[in-house]
Amino acid sequence: MFQHNSGTALPSQRTEIPFLLQVILVLLLALAGTGCKGEIPGVERPEYSLPLDVDISSNEPGRYGGIFVTAESQQPRTFNPLVAEDAYSSEAIGRFLNGLTFYHPLKEEVVPELARSWEISEDQKSITMHLRRGVRWSDGEPFTASDVMFTFKALFDERYPNRYQGQYTIAGEPIGYEKIDQYTVRFSTARPYSPFLYVIGFIGILPRHVLYDAYEQGELLQKWSIRTAMHQPGELVGTGPFSIRSFRPGQRILYEPNPHYWRADSKGRRLPYVDYLITRYVQDRNTETVLFVSGQIDVSAITPGDVVGVNRNSELHDYTVHHRGPATGIRFIWFNQKPGTNEQGRPYVEPHKLEWFTNKKFRQAVLYGFNREGLISSVYFGRAELLHSIISPANQRWYNPDVRKYPYDPDRARELLASQGFVYGADGNLLDQYGNAVVVDVYASEGDDITPQILSTFRENMRDLGIRVRVRYLDFGTLVARISRHFEYEAAMMGFTGGADPSGGRAIYLSSGRLHLWNPGQEEPHTEWESRVDQLVYASEETFDPDERVEYVHRMQEIFSEELPLLFLLTPHTYVGLKNKWRNVRIPSMGSVIWNIDELYLEPEH
Amino acid sequence: MAVFLIRRILSAVPLLFGISVLVFILMAVAPGDFLDVARSQEDIPAEYIERMEEEFALGEPWHTRYFIWLGNVVRGNLGESWIYRVPVTELLAQRVPATLVLSALSILFALCIAIPMGVLAAIYKDSVFDRISSLFAYAALSIPEFFLALLAVMFAAQTGLFPIGGLSSVEHEFMSFWGRMADYAHHLVLPTIVLGMGSVASYMRIMRANFLDYIRSDFVTTARAKGVPEGRVMFVHVLRNAINPLVSASGFILATLLSGSILVENVMNYPGLGQLIFEALMRQDEFVVVAAVMMGCIMLMLGNLIADLLLAWSDPRIRLEKN
Repeated sequence: MFQHNSGTALPSQRTEIPFLLQVILVLLLALAGTGCKGEIPGVERPEYSLPLDVDISSNEPGRYGGIFVTAESQQPRTFNPLVAEDAYSSEAIGRFLNGLTFYHPLKEEVVPELARSWEISEDQKSITMHLRRGVRWSDGEPFTASDVMFTFKALFDERYPNRYQGQYTIAGEPIGYEKIDQYTVRFSTARPYSPFLYVIGFIGILPRHVLYDAYEQGELLQKWSIRTAMHQPGELVGTGPFSIRSFRPGQRILYEPNPHYWRADSKGRRLPYVDYLITRYVQDRNTETVLFVSGQIDVSAITPGDVVGVNRNSELHDYTVHHRGPATGIRFIWFNQKPGTNEQGRPYVEPHKLEWFTNKKFRQAVLYGFNREGLISSVYFGRAELLHSIISPANQRWYNPDVRKYPYDPDRARELLASQGFVYGADGNLLDQYGNAVVVDVYASEGDDITPQILSTFRENMRDLGIRVRVRYLDFGTLVARISRHFEYEAAMMGFTGGADPSGGRAIYLSSGRLHLWNPGQEEPHTEWESRVDQLVYASEETFDPDERVEYVHRMQEIFSEELPLLFLLTPHTYVGLKNKWRNVRIPSMGSVIWNIDELYLEPEH
Repeated sequence: MAVFLIRRILSAVPLLFGISVLVFILMAVAPGDFLDVARSQEDIPAEYIERMEEEFALGEPWHTRYFIWLGNVVRGNLGESWIYRVPVTELLAQRVPATLVLSALSILFALCIAIPMGVLAAIYKDSVFDRISSLFAYAALSIPEFFLALLAVMFAAQTGLFPIGGLSSVEHEFMSFWGRMADYAHHLVLPTIVLGMGSVASYMRIMRANFLDYIRSDFVTTARAKGVPEGRVMFVHVLRNAINPLVSASGFILATLLSGSILVENVMNYPGLGQLIFEALMRQDEFVVVAAVMMGCIMLMLGNLIADLLLAWSDPRIRLEKN
């Protein structure tokens, strides 16, 4: 065995020196990193004259300066509106492109954007839009009706499949578009279609002078990818409040004001006020919360569970957590009511089960027997409310508060079940009139930590009614495949995000809809109430009278809450944290908190 | 030498084929497909989804898609990402440098700590230092990297000494050149430590074991008998021999670092290959997944090749041509 002597100690220290040096070097560099937190210089604002039809903000005039930092959990996949199909890309595109119209989340109505006004014809099938005169693209070229024509021509081009083609096809026919003069365009629809003004605002108008060559060569979908934003951000020409200055995948995007933007304040100063808008990409939602709590971003959505923790730092970093009310989405459990068999001749749902599921009294009994109130107090600590309708209460304009409600009432549930011939066996299990035990498999995807809590409460409550519920968790993709393609399931739980105008929910409401989950894609309405819903949806889309539209949508909600094809669960409250230094903040009940980012400005002492 | 290199590179080709077939089969067996997200959104029209299914050949069996892909690869085209509509090669090229830098730094970090610690633990075998360093090594080996990453994020958030994830700060592009380098370094400290920690432990154990082996060998006794100073014996003769296995271990470590980096990059928000692969896997963006997996394999093979070359260079007993 080797015995070491004191001689070894010396050289061993010698080997440590490079290692120590390494550590010191790294630390030095790291400290240098903290030391030279570079100040971001203010942005230069070239003085271009305001367009003839400038839009003057009605909010108080502010002052220039400041950097607004936000965070998103995902980065844009593309900057091309014809390719985008996710909310993150659409948001980034909306920063530099404008549509013809805009849905104002506070007024809850469509307001002019690139179109300054419009007229609807006698027969309500054509709409003439007057464009803002004198508007220029961010590269200085004038914006005219040719750009609008180009956008719609590209959108309906067979070579470029995109989601808008379906959206802008009304009663089986693509909408018509023609140029009347340099600043006037006329759209026509095969049938009167009142959501038109709302949906026409979805597509950002594209600059013809930038994209025409690519369009001609059949390469339009390859344009404006993330690669463009990385290497030639100047090519992303738009009319929106910002231009993209730089984009670093996985890290951040930096916007600077568009010097040709068409909005100004009452003092005649061009918006937006902020010098830079920065969106950081964080992989994890918790990281976003950490960034907000440590004062590194200006705005962040806060989950109900985090509200108390986040509030603890509110004085240190001078922010407030605002309560926004119920979430816009809806969440529900539903039973598969699809009749028929699959390719192998096996029924989608066993016939005796299909009989329960298509019985509205059975569905009502289940919802009466579900203690959702208990769930709200135990899981959400009261920061949620019951969902009664297919439209979330957040959507105040369309939500009908007077639909049938199903408070927790197990006795009522048992009565209803008894009235439909269900009886209790010796072991306390519920049996149908033919003696089959009532057993239901519920599929769900383990999307968040709330889903398992909701479903285990559901299972317990159903056991009290004598119904045996088995919960199966699937991968999200498998769940979607099962409910939308194979239809082999008994019950499932899911949610929808919900939009502003009910026309966005057609795929759910219409019996022919792709997401008419309980029995999708029907050729003819299968039940009397489904055909009533279909008629109401069509009627609401044909009338241009706003009150009449609301009336139809209210009646549609009454039918859904009475027939209960979807057992509505609950809607959590949403919260948003925002730094107090920003002025002109108007938080709407749904949609983006900084929808009016062009009007936000720093309070004077900052 | 050249023959050896050519043989190694040629033998990689069938391996890559096999792996690509495997990836396509696995992707086909995995439930759902790329369009699931679109299918579950209420405002995407059915016609659009059908068009996309057709375009991506998603209704077809996996081998149809495989041959489409293979045909493109032979023509030097790795396909296009369905998410980003950008050539896969371009997407990978954006991310590879960041991951390579992180991996190289963590190996460097691991070597710089593990070699002295392993040597000291061997020389002072059974001392307090040896015990403590073994304890540290086993602890570091048993803590999963993503957990360390979470701890690091918490540490950064609590102390404010380091940025919470990312590779550069918001002010980055307004900085001078040296400011930018310092900014990168500042951001790299925590991910490097987190990713390197596991390798420190394993390197240290290897180093210690080898060093002990060589301390007991005959040439050490001879050297001592000749009156060579103890320091020279340890740090010239023993260390020189004991370091060889570390060189070959580095090749494998590179591969484990890459797999570890998928988790670490996601937790620490580091814009590398890991993030991209994770997203592509979750969304089943097939061509990106295949390309990324192949990329990982190529890096593993390259790592091993480089390790072999280094070994041949550092150990004169090894002759590559004869293997």
